[in-house]
Amino acid sequence: MIKKELYKNWYGSGEMNKNLFSRKQLAVPYAIFLLLFVIIPLLVLIYFGFTDENGNISFANFIRFFGSGKTIGTLLYSIVIALFTTVFCLLLAYPAAFFLAKGNFGKKQAFIMMFVLPMWINFTLRITALKEILTLLEGNLAYHPFFNTILCMVYDFLPFMILPLYQALCKLDNSLIEAAFDLGASEFQVFYKVVLPLSVPGIISGVTMVFLPSMTNYVVLDMVYNSTYIMGSLIGSYFSSYDWNNGSVISVILLLMIGAVTLFSGRITKQEQAKRARVLK
Amino acid sequence: MDTGKKRWYAVWILGIFLVLLGGCGKEEEDTIVLRVNNWEEYIDEGGWEEEDAVVLSDGTVILPENGMIEDFQEWFYQVYGKKVKVEYSTFGTNEELYNQITLGDAYDLVCPSEYMIMKLIAEDLVLPFSEDFYKNTEHHYYANGVSPYIKKVYDELEINGEPLSKYAAGYMWGTLGIVYNPSEVTQEEAAHWDLLLSDKFYKRITIKDSVRDAFFAGVSIYQKDWILDPDFLEQNDYKEKLGELLNLTDSETVEAVEEILSRIKDQVYSFETDSGKADMVTGKVVANQQWSGDAVYTLDQAEEDGIFLCYSAPEEATNLWFDGWCMLKDAIAGDREKQMAAEAFIHFVSRPDNAIRNMEYIGYTSVISGGESDQISQYIEWNYGAEEEETDTIDYEISYFFGKEYFVTAPQEQTKRQLYAQYPPVSVMDRCVVMEYFDQEENQRINRMWTNVRCFDLAEWWQKK
Repeated sequence: MIKKELYKNWYGSGEMNKNLFSRKQLAVPYAIFLLLFVIIPLLVLIYFGFTDENGNISFANFIRFFGSGKTIGTLLYSIVIALFTTVFCLLLAYPAAFFLAKGNFGKKQAFIMMFVLPMWINFTLRITALKEILTLLEGNLAYHPFFNTILCMVYDFLPFMILPLYQALCKLDNSLIEAAFDLGASEFQVFYKVVLPLSVPGIISGVTMVFLPSMTNYVVLDMVYNSTYIMGSLIGSYFSSYDWNNGSVISVILLLMIGAVTLFSGRITKQEQAKRARVLK
Repeated sequence: MDTGKKRWYAVWILGIFLVLLGGCGKEEEDTIVLRVNNWEEYIDEGGWEEEDAVVLSDGTVILPENGMIEDFQEWFYQVYGKKVKVEYSTFGTNEELYNQITLGDAYDLVCPSEYMIMKLIAEDLVLPFSEDFYKNTEHHYYANGVSPYIKKVYDELEINGEPLSKYAAGYMWGTLGIVYNPSEVTQEEAAHWDLLLSDKFYKRITIKDSVRDAFFAGVSIYQKDWILDPDFLEQNDYKEKLGELLNLTDSETVEAVEEILSRIKDQVYSFETDSGKADMVTGKVVANQQWSGDAVYTLDQAEEDGIFLCYSAPEEATNLWFDGWCMLKDAIAGDREKQMAAEAFIHFVSRPDNAIRNMEYIGYTSVISGGESDQISQYIEWNYGAEEEETDTIDYEISYFFGKEYFVTAPQEQTKRQLYAQYPPVSVMDRCVVMEYFDQEENQRINRMWTNVRCFDLAEWWQKK
C-alpha cells in the first residue's frame, strides 16, 4: 500500500496532501547543501569584502583594488590570459567538434572518447607530464612563461570547449545545411550564415566554461614557473597572510564579473533565439 | 504546514545531523587524547629498511619499526601507567597553522617556526610550561639534552618581557642558504645573496615562494656593502647591530627591497615551494635558496644520482630559524593530565635516540645535543666521520653547539656539504640573525610589497614596448 502511494507522489500526481514524499521534499537535501556550502559562504564573502579589519563597514578594500596600478595590472593580465586561452580553445575546438558531429566516418565514438579521456586524469598530473615534454623542447621553461601558461591552459580547458560545441552542432539539423546549399549558398556562406549562428549557444556555454575559470586557475602558472600573479593567486596570497578583507573583495569583484558575463551571454542567446524564431516563421 | 510534511523535514534534518555526528567516535574515559599538529614529513614514521640502520659506537642500533607516535603512546603507558591517544595532523605553512588556530581548530601541541611562536605568544594563545618542565629529573629528556646554544637563544628572545623558553621548546633548527652545483657555480659566487641577481645564471636559479625568506635575501642584498664593511664587521656589538639591520621594516627599506625583489623576479627560474629540490637534482637549475634541512635532503638525493651539490650560508648574513613546540591555552583548557602528556611528548621526541631517528628520517637538525649522553656526537661521527684510509680530512669544530669542546674528523669536502648544512661552523653562527615577527602594520607593509612584486607591472611593460 505504502509503495503505491510513494510512487504516485513521486511522479507528482498533484495529491500533495498525502503524507509521503513530494517533489519539493526531495529537494531538501540539496537545499541544505546549497545553504551550507554556497549561500552562507557567499554571505561571509560579501561581509568580509565590505568591512575593514575591525569589522566596520567600509569600501576601502574596493577602492584599494581599483586604486592600485599593480592590482589593475593583474586584473588585465588575467583577462589577457583568459582571452588567449579562450580564443585558442575555440579555434582548436570548433573544427574538431564540427568534424565529430557532422563528419561521416567510422569509430566516431572512439574519437569522442579521445577528447573526453584526458578529463579522467587530474589536470595537475597532466600538466606535470606536459611540463617535462616542454622542458625537453624548449630547454628552459622560464624563458617563455606566457607562452607556456597559455599552452597549458588550453590543454587543460580544451575538453570543456569541445563538449558544448559538439552538442550544439549535433542538434543542428542537417536539412538546414542542405537547404542552404540547394538555395545556392557557397560553402563559406553556409558556414557563416547557417552553421555558425546556430551554434552560438554552444559557443557561449563553452566560452563561459573556459574564460572565467582560466582567470583564476593559478595552479597552472605555479606549475610552469610563471611568477606573475593572476586573480586566483592574488586572492590566495591575501588569504594566506590572513587578510580576509582584501581577499574577499577580489572574490566579490570576480563574482560580479561572472554575473555580468552570464547576463550578457543570456541576452545574446535570447536574441539569437528570437532571430531564429523570426526566420523560421 | 501539515504534520506529514513536518515529519519528513524532521527526518531529513535528523539524518543530516546523524551523518555529521557519525565522525565523532566515543572516547574511552581513561584515555588522554592529545592533538598534535606538526609540519608535513617532520617526524619519523618508522618502517626502516635493514640498510638504513644507524649504528652508534656504543653498540646502539637504531632501526625503528613503528613510527614515533606509536612508540610515544607505548612509552607513556609504560612510564606513567596511563593511556594516551595522539591525534596527529600536519600543516604546510605557518600561516596555514595560524589560520587553523584562529578559526577555532583545537590543537594541544603545535610546532610552528620562531616568528609564529612569537606571534602566538604575543596574542596570548600559548600556555607556559609547568614549573618542573626544565627540572633535570628522569624522563625529562628535553631539559637534560637541549643544546646550551639553542637554550640560550630561547632564553634571550623576549616577548612582552618574558623569555621565549617559558612558552616554547625547540625541535629542529637551521640556517637559510643557497644550494649550488659546484660544477657551474663557484663557492665565491654562492657566498653572496646577490647570486640571485646574477646575469650569468639568468633563469637558472630558484628562490623560495615565501615572503619572509625572499625578504631576508632582499634586505641582505640591499645592506650588503654596509654589512661587509670592515668597520661594521669589527665593531663590538656586531651581532646585535646585524640583527637590528636585518629586522628593519621601515618604508625606505621595504621600498628598496621591493625594487630588488622585482629584479630578482625577472631574473630567476621560479618562485618555488617544493619543486626546488627536484629541479636541482634534474639539473634544471644550478642554485636555489634553501633551508639547511632541505639542503641536506637535496644533497643526499643528488648524491644517489651521482651529482655532487654544495650548500652555502652567505657571507652577509643568514637567518637562524627554529621550529618549536608550544601548547595552546584554549585547547589544553586547564586539563593538567593533558598538559602533562603534552610535555611528556616533547621530552620523548628529545630523547637522544629519538632525536637521531628524526634527524636521519627528515634531514633537519635537532636542537638536542644530548647532555650527559654522547649519542648525538656518536651519530655525527657515524654520519660524517672520515674513514681511516682518508687523508684529506679536517677537524671540524662544533663546540658551541655542545657547550663543551667537540671536534669531528671529517672529510675536507664536508666543510661545504651536509655537515656544514646540518651543523654550521661557529663562523656561520656569528652572522646568524633571528628574524622576528612583524606586527600588524609591518606585516601589512611587507605583504603589500610582496603583492606589488608579484603583480603584473603595467608601467614597466609599457616602458619596454
